[in-house]
Amino acid sequence: MKTPTIEERMRQPNEIDFWRGFALVTIFVNHIPGIVFERFTFRNVAISDSAELFVFLAGWALRKLVDGPAKPLSARYLILRLEGRAFTVYLAQLVIAQLAIALLAGASLLLDAPFLLDWNNASAIFADPVRAHLGLVALTFQLGYFDILPLYVALMLVSPLIALSYRHARAALLPVSLAIWAFALAFGVNLPTWPVEGAWFFDPLAWQLIFVLGFLLAGEDGIGGLARRYRKPIGWIALPIVLLGVAAARIDFDPSPIALPEPKLFFVFDKTFLSPARLLSSLAIVAVFAGSFGAISRALPRLGAFLSLLGRNSLNVFCAGSLLSLAGQVFRFAYGGDVVSDAFIVMFGLIVMGAAAWASEWRERLRAKTSKEPAA
Amino acid sequence: MGFGMARKAAGKNVERACGLALALMASLVFAQASAAQESAPPEAPPPLSPACEAPAGDIAAPAMLPHFARALRERKTARILAIGSSSTSGVGASSDSKSYPAQLEAILEGAMKGVDVVVANRGVSGEVAAVTAERIKSEVTREKPDLLLWQLGTNDALVRVAPDEFENTVRSTIRWLKENEIDVVLVGLQYSSRFSRDEEYFAIRNVLQRVASAENVAYVRRYDAMRFIAQNHANLQMMARDNFHLNDLGYQCMAEHIARAVIVGVFAKRRPSGN
Repeated sequence: MKTPTIEERMRQPNEIDFWRGFALVTIFVNHIPGIVFERFTFRNVAISDSAELFVFLAGWALRKLVDGPAKPLSARYLILRLEGRAFTVYLAQLVIAQLAIALLAGASLLLDAPFLLDWNNASAIFADPVRAHLGLVALTFQLGYFDILPLYVALMLVSPLIALSYRHARAALLPVSLAIWAFALAFGVNLPTWPVEGAWFFDPLAWQLIFVLGFLLAGEDGIGGLARRYRKPIGWIALPIVLLGVAAARIDFDPSPIALPEPKLFFVFDKTFLSPARLLSSLAIVAVFAGSFGAISRALPRLGAFLSLLGRNSLNVFCAGSLLSLAGQVFRFAYGGDVVSDAFIVMFGLIVMGAAAWASEWRERLRAKTSKEPAA
Repeated sequence: MGFGMARKAAGKNVERACGLALALMASLVFAQASAAQESAPPEAPPPLSPACEAPAGDIAAPAMLPHFARALRERKTARILAIGSSSTSGVGASSDSKSYPAQLEAILEGAMKGVDVVVANRGVSGEVAAVTAERIKSEVTREKPDLLLWQLGTNDALVRVAPDEFENTVRSTIRWLKENEIDVVLVGLQYSSRFSRDEEYFAIRNVLQRVASAENVAYVRRYDAMRFIAQNHANLQMMARDNFHLNDLGYQCMAEHIARAVIVGVFAKRRPSGN
């Protein structure tokens, strides 16, 4: 296999990286409850949020990998490569969860505030450490707001199935994915959490659908081809859906299960199970804004470049962003939440996320450079 | 809102609660008189344990729980979903069976003979109301409870969620629950001397009181009851070692107080008044 050149690694600003960066910044802000700037994130004008966008784009990236660098790989090596990626994400989750716990523990000592040990569902770590540590490594114990990567790990774990069925049974991929999603919604099937009784915040059985849709739409064939050929008309169909979402979000409309037929999860706006309304809303948003990157980056080239930089390094930036959100929560507790301190939190967060992305690429470049030189 | 106004509003609430309590006592007599004909007669709220005694006005501002009462009457079984943060999940308790939802189930079944009450515990420690509100949608759709006990506010006050934002979240969720024919009992903020002068804490507490009375849902005045006990039974240890969470006895009092609001809410169904 040809190793990509440095230029290929540090690809130019592009649409996918840009929107991934956008999703990362939005998630960072959305995970600081009460912050003023949360009111400007798009979940206030839509019935879906950046979580859908993030998972959709993760599916998209998987397709780019499977069609690109991983294309020549045999099934065995493809599985190895994708499971390797799952393992990397898993390690990232363990590391940030541990750092989050340490951050809360440190803050609780520093501020003499034992209740900080409760935040984000962390209390089991301190109250029931024996079982909680097992849950932590088994991903059945998830800290609040640290629940997207476990979903990502679960999706990457099964990603070889997606990639191989794409290679050998392409037509089956979407129907099977739809069937699993429908099954999860019809019967309310979700993975349990332990030791804290409950269920996963993002049900992998439901959320695999938007991952697979991202995977399929990234391609030139099948529904991806259709979407490309009819992009304009699809955009026009999607626009009223997006506007309906804006209206629903503004008037706080949310259908009541009691008035709905069974199975109700198909009709409510539910995040855990990615109900059809949320799915449709996020796909419509993608359809309406697809292709707008060119105009955005021409008008605001620095923004385009910055968000693309974040998006190119999405795992590292996501990890940095998660910890920054938590630090932001603690900061707001300690110093109160006004516009000035909130603006400081956001600015600081963006700078550190940018620095994390830059450092990741710098390391990459260094490694590429040193690997060419003969060993000392 | 200034403190004076807020205090006045709180005072009004106490009056309201006392008035309600009187009306309830009257309805109690009526209830017991007609109990013989009823299939599942709810009985008087069990007496509080001495350690948990507090004035009725400090315990709760009750409201009718028509759907929960109907479920008990017609099916002899009712489902309760206890959702909220660490006080619901039971941080500080010596075991899961000492958390307030577990203790509540036993108290309710003891007080209302011949009925089966199932309490599901969905507490996630440190959670703010906006996230719980999201969980409520899917939990309600799955669990189909007749009554939702929502313990909230402490964390919103600590992470400085703006009171108006908090109010929007609580109000819209209560309305959604009403549309779905699920009764709600709001369980208020924890008392801690550390926050007795914290403005944000006070503001969030105020919002809860106001929303509960405007939306006519029951409100368990945890802060007031806990403060009363802390000030009047200083010898009793209600707190866990961290001096913030409750211990087993604290959770017992919490369960007893909530049970009182629930049982009174079942009786309140019988009042001939409107709504």
